[in-house]
Amino acid sequence: MIELKNIEKYYSSKGIKHYVLRHVTTTIKQGEFVSIMGPSGSGKSTLLNILGMLEEPTYGTFEFLGEDVTSLNERKRIELYRNHIGFVFQAYHLIDEMTVYENIEAPLLYKKVGSSERASRIANLLDKFNIVAKKDLFPNQLSGGQQQLVGIARALATQPSIILADEPTGNLQSAQAEEIMQLFQKLNKEEGITIIQVTHSEKNATYGNRILNIQDGVIKEDSPTQAPQMGGVV
Amino acid sequence: MFKLNLKIALRNLWKNKTSSFINVIGLAIGLAACLMLLLYVSYEWNFDKQAKKSKDVYIVMTHITDDFGKDIFTFDGTPTSLSSTISSGIPEIEFVSRVSYDQNLLIANGENSFKKTAKFADADFIKMYDFEFLSGDEKTALLKPGSVILTQSMAQTLFGTTQVIDRTVRFQDKTDLKITGVVKDAPSNSSNKFDYLLPWSEYGKVDKAADDLSWGNYSFNTLVRLTENANILDVDNKMDRLVKGKAKWNHSPFFLFPLSKLHLFGKFENGKSVGGDIDQIWLFMGLAFGILLIACINFMNMATAKSEKRAKEVGIKKTIGATRKSLILQFLTESMVLTLLSIFIAIILVEGALPTFGNLLNISLNISFVEIKSWLAILGIVFFTGLIAGSYPAFYLSSFNPIQTLKRKIKSRGFLSINLRQVLIIGQFCFAIMLIISTIVIYKQIQFIKDKPVGIDVNALVDMPLEGELKEKFDLLKTNLLNSGAVSSVAQSSISLLHHGRNFSGLEWQGMSKAQNSILFNQVGTAYDFIKTSGLKLISGRDFSPQYSSDTVSVLISSAAAKIMELKNPIGSVLKFNKTDVTVIGVFEDYAWDSPYNANNPMIVYFNKDNSENVTMRLNPKQSLQENVSVIEKITKEINPAYPVQLNFVSSSYDKLLRKEKTLGILSNLFGGLAIFVSCLGLFGLVAYSAEQRTKEFGVRKVLGASVASLMQLLSLSFIKMIGVAIVIAIPISYYAMGKWLNNFEFHTEITWWIMPLAAISTLLMALITVSFQAYKTAKANPVDALKYE
Ligand SMILES: Nc1ncnc2c1ncn2[C@@H]1O[C@H](COP(=O)(O)OP(=O)(O)OP(=O)(O)O)[C@@H](O)[C@H]1O
Ligand SMILES: [Mg+2]
Repeated sequence: MIELKNIEKYYSSKGIKHYVLRHVTTTIKQGEFVSIMGPSGSGKSTLLNILGMLEEPTYGTFEFLGEDVTSLNERKRIELYRNHIGFVFQAYHLIDEMTVYENIEAPLLYKKVGSSERASRIANLLDKFNIVAKKDLFPNQLSGGQQQLVGIARALATQPSIILADEPTGNLQSAQAEEIMQLFQKLNKEEGITIIQVTHSEKNATYGNRILNIQDGVIKEDSPTQAPQMGGVV
Repeated sequence: MFKLNLKIALRNLWKNKTSSFINVIGLAIGLAACLMLLLYVSYEWNFDKQAKKSKDVYIVMTHITDDFGKDIFTFDGTPTSLSSTISSGIPEIEFVSRVSYDQNLLIANGENSFKKTAKFADADFIKMYDFEFLSGDEKTALLKPGSVILTQSMAQTLFGTTQVIDRTVRFQDKTDLKITGVVKDAPSNSSNKFDYLLPWSEYGKVDKAADDLSWGNYSFNTLVRLTENANILDVDNKMDRLVKGKAKWNHSPFFLFPLSKLHLFGKFENGKSVGGDIDQIWLFMGLAFGILLIACINFMNMATAKSEKRAKEVGIKKTIGATRKSLILQFLTESMVLTLLSIFIAIILVEGALPTFGNLLNISLNISFVEIKSWLAILGIVFFTGLIAGSYPAFYLSSFNPIQTLKRKIKSRGFLSINLRQVLIIGQFCFAIMLIISTIVIYKQIQFIKDKPVGIDVNALVDMPLEGELKEKFDLLKTNLLNSGAVSSVAQSSISLLHHGRNFSGLEWQGMSKAQNSILFNQVGTAYDFIKTSGLKLISGRDFSPQYSSDTVSVLISSAAAKIMELKNPIGSVLKFNKTDVTVIGVFEDYAWDSPYNANNPMIVYFNKDNSENVTMRLNPKQSLQENVSVIEKITKEINPAYPVQLNFVSSSYDKLLRKEKTLGILSNLFGGLAIFVSCLGLFGLVAYSAEQRTKEFGVRKVLGASVASLMQLLSLSFIKMIGVAIVIAIPISYYAMGKWLNNFEFHTEITWWIMPLAAISTLLMALITVSFQAYKTAKANPVDALKYE
């Protein structure tokens, strides 16, 4: 579903090019659960942002669902966000003024989903993530882990085919992190959602089935995970 | 989506109480000020525009030039013959009517007598406007001599009912008139307002000149109504041809001018309208929108202060599928909700303040809530305000790229946003400071004119019309008044001391440069004790006196007149006045008889016992004012029982001449104050917000040992600097603008140096108080609380 060909990204300052990504070429198929790893500053977030069309590569081509999306206009991009891509952020990025319910509802409203369909989907998600009791609370009334659950529920509301997550557990304790990772795994396994996450944790990476290791903007290693996959219910 | 946006907008309003309060109150004041000024503007703008065909109604203007075609002046007076001359032969003219200027005349139903505004007109006058007849036949109402049309309120005043057709009223205590119609009162903003309307044939009883068909007396109006889309130039030309043979002009001095424009565009130069009160209307419009803009700027500033947070919101929403359009709509919804809330408060404020405001301006204003038009206007203003106020977040923030806003290390303060905010604050305070300076200058000018010697001691002077029995029995009145001790001196005259009257006919002197005098002289007919009563200062010669029988062919002239006639030895000079030789027996100092702002025209005072219309009295200073007044009223009433006594203080007439400038002063004072208040409100909001943002920083600094003073400085210095910049910009602009305004007046005050620092320091002081209040609160806060807060 994703084809990256020779992606390059650099920032120039004072005439000197600082490369962040070099010759990144890779394919990600539907249903994969990819973890991007690497030292700080190696270009992980940049790569994820390019995958999410939040940034444009300086060179190279990017195909998404068989379509060239290297540079898209805002309208088309938003169309993709509404139908195919869900974002999960390290800082959760919930909207402070909205309740849990409204946060999950917002993408559905933008997508113009009918009200009964909306209600049933939200009810479903609240139920699945065990946050029914919290639906009328505001983000600042939730713990970090709960906020991230809401963040994921929001990303899933439009039933995307891919989820892009930049250090989704970076701000969380290990127990909460584990919970989120198990959730990702379940979504990947049971609903076939493609997941690409950036992580610093070896352990988190093992929940996926493929690891891209980046160093200085170059993919140094691309390997399937071997570690025993932990099952479990969320 | 809209529902959610609305819900969130309301929730935000409730959550951020301080900034909502500041925004709502600021906007409400701005909107209220704007509404009130717009009401006033619409009142002025709609002058004479109520009738359906009002735009086809024209008034004939007369443009007087000297022999060389040089402009002298333009006015709306026309001779009586004009109307009959142009009534046939010009197909575009549908109706034409002579109309009198307003006359304050006596009308009575038995004992019930009142001095009310009368107008005299030809029968066509009724057809020009759609007068609403409550009773009577509009086709015949003004046809017959001896008939009268009353307004509804006049009928109520006289009879207590409007069912008065065929009843009679007594007019001027002389004639009985039959009521042939009752019409609805005209709106107060129309120039053809009257309490009762009489056929032209009755006018002769009040002013003999009205009966003559002359080309020499310009004391009457002529109104015409043209067919739709008539070409005025054509009509002017046709009028020119018809008039040419009649009088001795090379070309006709007459031209048509839309009556509905006369009120606002009534200033003429060279026979062309060059503006007039419309300038003031523009000024008020500017004020109205200026205040509103200041309030909008508060809103925008709060929005830019919060832009960091809002930008993040934009970024998130875009990643979950929001389009720019939906974000623009969201931000506009927020500002519209706020504006809507403010307009409700504004309407309450306006309803409360309008009577007082109307009193200040001497007109009655009200919002007519039944009219769809006013609602549309209000909605229009709400929409416009919401759009302006919400424009910054809506159009600027919504354009953000999500990645810029979501990256953790986004530049904490956008270069543009801080700059824009500075510019806006500076603009706000510039406006406020300019208003303060204008207020001071306007007040200084009014004071200057008030303090300027008018040339006569007006304080103990009263006058009243010489009418009814008083005309015949003036000598008795004079004797009785003098004997009573209420007055020290009494004089009769053709016009009162203060009036708008000028005339250039009938005066010749030796060594005159031209065959005909083209200089306007104020001509006053009087008898004995004129100088003594008025208190005018004689430079040489003497007052009229019964001791000299030759005084009946003598005149007094003003020093300006002596100068113009180039009389080396004025006393004893002989002039020709109305074809008679008259001798100058006295020269008096000039006084302000028309406008206190300009040097007035020269004046000639001639002896005429028989055409007096006015009595001037100097009160006895040894007795109390009330006593004097009641004695005068009693004596007058005895002699002239049919008329109510109308004593008028000359000093109050002088005050009336200052009305326009006073209005200007009141408005700039009021709205200047509001502008400062709303600006400071905005400043307060910004400081409060920035203090809230920096609570933690301040806590840390305090723990590190910063003093309260240094923290306050940290918080307020940048704001105070902006005010400083505003002062630097505003002072030269207002200096220039007010200098220009003052130059409109021949007599004007100077812009003294202390005005500028006064305005600057008072603004700075107010801003400083506003800012320090909040800064002190923050700086004093316990650091522990601040640090725990995170
Ligand atoms: N706008 C920018 N201008 C210049 N350099 C940038 C910009 N954005 C990112 N970089 C640089 O690109 C490099 C890669 O950044 P990136 O955020 O992708 O790193 P990362 O791998 O996600 O690191 P971390 O693990 O710390 O999140 C960094 O060296 C960073 O300094
Ligand atoms: Mg990163």
